[in-house]
Amino acid sequence: MTIVADVKPRHGAGLKRLLTKMGQDAAGNDVVPLGELSTAHFARMLMLDPTKDLDGNPLPAHFLYMSDIDGSVEEHLEELVDIAPDGLDQVLRHCEGYPARGKVARDDRLEFLSAHAVKAGAEYVNTVGRTLAQVRDEAHLRAEIQDFLDSGDFEGVEPEAARDAIRRFVQAREDLRWAIEPAPSPGPAQRAAELVQALGFPLELLALAPVIVPALPVWALLLRLHELRDKARTIPPSDTHDRELAALEDFTAQNPFSAVGERKPGLTRLVTAASILRLVDYGARYIFNNGSLTGVKTIHFARWVFLDDTRRMIFASSYDGSLESYMDDFINQVWWGLNAVFSNGVGFPRTSWLVFGGSQNEQPFKDYLRRHEVPTQVWYSAYDELTAINIDNNAQIRAGLSGEMSREETEAWLLLL
Amino acid sequence: MAATPVSLEVQDVQGLVASAYGHLPHGCFVLLEIADATKARAWLGELAGDVTTAAGRVEGESINVALTPSGLEKLGVPRSALGAFSLEFQDGMTESSRSRVLGDTGDSAPEYWAWGSPDTASIDLILLLYASTQQELAGMLTRRADLGGTGLREVHHLDARRDEREHFGFHDGISQPVIEGFRTGHARDTIKTGEFVLGYPNEYGQFTARPLLEHGEDPGHLLPRDAQGSGRPDLGRNGTYLVLRQLAQDVSGFWTHLHGVAQSSGNGYGDATALAARMVGRWPGGAPLVLSPDRDDPALSDANDFAYHQTDQLGLRCPIGAHLRRAHPRDSLDPNPGSDSSVAIDRMHRLLRRGRLYGPRVDPDDAPGAPDDRQRGLQFMCLCANLSRQFEFIQHTWVNNPKFDGLYEDSDPLLGPRGRAFTIQARPTRRRVTNLPAFVQVRGGAYFFLPGIRAMRWLASLSGGPS
Repeated sequence: MTIVADVKPRHGAGLKRLLTKMGQDAAGNDVVPLGELSTAHFARMLMLDPTKDLDGNPLPAHFLYMSDIDGSVEEHLEELVDIAPDGLDQVLRHCEGYPARGKVARDDRLEFLSAHAVKAGAEYVNTVGRTLAQVRDEAHLRAEIQDFLDSGDFEGVEPEAARDAIRRFVQAREDLRWAIEPAPSPGPAQRAAELVQALGFPLELLALAPVIVPALPVWALLLRLHELRDKARTIPPSDTHDRELAALEDFTAQNPFSAVGERKPGLTRLVTAASILRLVDYGARYIFNNGSLTGVKTIHFARWVFLDDTRRMIFASSYDGSLESYMDDFINQVWWGLNAVFSNGVGFPRTSWLVFGGSQNEQPFKDYLRRHEVPTQVWYSAYDELTAINIDNNAQIRAGLSGEMSREETEAWLLLL
Repeated sequence: MAATPVSLEVQDVQGLVASAYGHLPHGCFVLLEIADATKARAWLGELAGDVTTAAGRVEGESINVALTPSGLEKLGVPRSALGAFSLEFQDGMTESSRSRVLGDTGDSAPEYWAWGSPDTASIDLILLLYASTQQELAGMLTRRADLGGTGLREVHHLDARRDEREHFGFHDGISQPVIEGFRTGHARDTIKTGEFVLGYPNEYGQFTARPLLEHGEDPGHLLPRDAQGSGRPDLGRNGTYLVLRQLAQDVSGFWTHLHGVAQSSGNGYGDATALAARMVGRWPGGAPLVLSPDRDDPALSDANDFAYHQTDQLGLRCPIGAHLRRAHPRDSLDPNPGSDSSVAIDRMHRLLRRGRLYGPRVDPDDAPGAPDDRQRGLQFMCLCANLSRQFEFIQHTWVNNPKFDGLYEDSDPLLGPRGRAFTIQARPTRRRVTNLPAFVQVRGGAYFFLPGIRAMRWLASLSGGPS
């Protein structure tokens, strides 16, 4: 979920100071200890500085709260409000429309948060349906099996016998016994509902085909004209900006990424950006929903959200490894997708027919990303020492504790450990 | 993207780019501080005529020179030009975010370094001397490092000996990329010129950021002009970045520990040598584990024509976390391991390795039990055009990364920090060495710029600086 609120004039510095302090211990700080959230995989709070739009109109500072959660938004907000009522007041008092002083009722807090919730233009989840509890439990399971293997000698043991020994170990442990049952999978009714949902968007497109198909060539030419006319001079980030961001990176196996850009003006770019996000959202939900975004396996969650009446957009993600490797993955594996989305941003390296060029210009592209990246003052991960690949491997380890396996399958499963 | 190969301008490139000077086994690196800029410039101008270039092999001795940002500044390089060097170089190896990225923490933290840290004497310049005999080197040192009248002061000097085997006893330096436009070699190992020398197209078919000067800043027309056609003088062209790190090796601790592990684990790991080979990825003689998993094979001592995916996707021959597999994963990583796209990723993260040894050798057989006198190790040196994408990426994302290629809590078994695990993939299931101590400690380090010959002449033509 995403919450966006304007910051009151002259409150920016105070809010930023507060957030920076909280960010030193996002999970346990005494303002809003995000580690107490029971369904949040990731959460972040950040402040965007006040600025001007492309026409020179002032844009106020924004406060953003984003979280990647299991279950309903309502329950999540209630939990947030209950774990840190006073802390939330401390943060939100800097925002427009929040009482500057005095006691705030629980319902008013909830109402403020709900009223400022915005829908993402597109969302990506590494593996749809995997809960925080499952991630944590399966990580614990794997660690315990590792210790068990360290304590024994399996040299020369037949694969079936080795698997049986591990299963007996898990079965015997009260805290692990749950793992002998496979993780719940969607039942037939749920799968049918999913299919209906998945078909909705293609059917919609089909119905609109009489309009879309003739419009496509016109749109393509208009876009091409824009591409040729756009200024595409990329400016490297300032050294100070670069150092400020570097100081927040590479403490754990994961990093946050938050970047804000201005959408190129005009209807063509608005239509392009909105349509591409719709496609990305669909693709992320129904196609790339199981561990890999067209080959990139290091992104846990990502989202794109329009800000300021679609004049700006924020991209926020939580990923494994360093920014350098993240950007290289982008350039080498999802360059076309990146171009389609980000080339609607002012200053992106020049693209050709939406998907070509652009991010293929290594240094200008890296400069563009870094220049638009903003400090994520508070970033919380519920499992900052697990990569998405680790999490997926843990799920496979658990899955292999149940069911029949051939000798080959057993050998392959043992090598996951 | 595929451009016609360009030829390297060998006359303008320092010889270290072309050669590790394997034929000159004796060497010394002299770290210097500039006390008098005018005299130092005169010295550098003279040296520009004497340094070894990539143009030919010098039999007797070789000399090269590189500078730090403070050295460039003292010689009078304008602020704007200094700011055009990469941020990694400007900030230096010991900047705190960088220490985290490089793993220079714990006892490897810069505060414990013998040189190169903010607490030790400032380093402006490094003189790299190579000779075929100890006497020749002594002669060179007398002539070259006689600093009277040069405006330079010696801060520290480092022995740098070339040997077939590094201190743990392993044949080293086997795999090196071939620079396109300079030599011909196996297509797989031939990497674009711009990955190792500034001012040439890189693996992306583009030019790596480099210090271009303003139009008026080279009135004498000493520098080459920007190959991209802006007309600006290119201070970077034919130069590159040089990384130097002094890595102390606890040889005795290494072998003592491995003998202990091998003895306590029955026949699980094989003997200490077999365990060490699994940590390295090659046998002491050089044979790669992928080609010869069970024993050292002298016939394979320089074998380099292999990949991982087809033969050893699961790491049953060469463990996934072995040092070699991390530092140069070949075709083993995403996307599509075993394919050209996997190899393409590897090609964007290559280094020219120019490392040497220091300190007396300890025989591996005598090593267990001997006290560690911290007197030996590796002068790790490499050259690359993009410190961030090449050296720092390899160090952070591959070598030091506990999550490398699907692992969980392993770090590089040779270079990694204390207390991590080393997993040996095996049937029926993996074996694991836990609580592996650190055998290597960083003792010093810095980033340098290895200029082209014309860039040296331009530097010598500047004015200002300390006197």
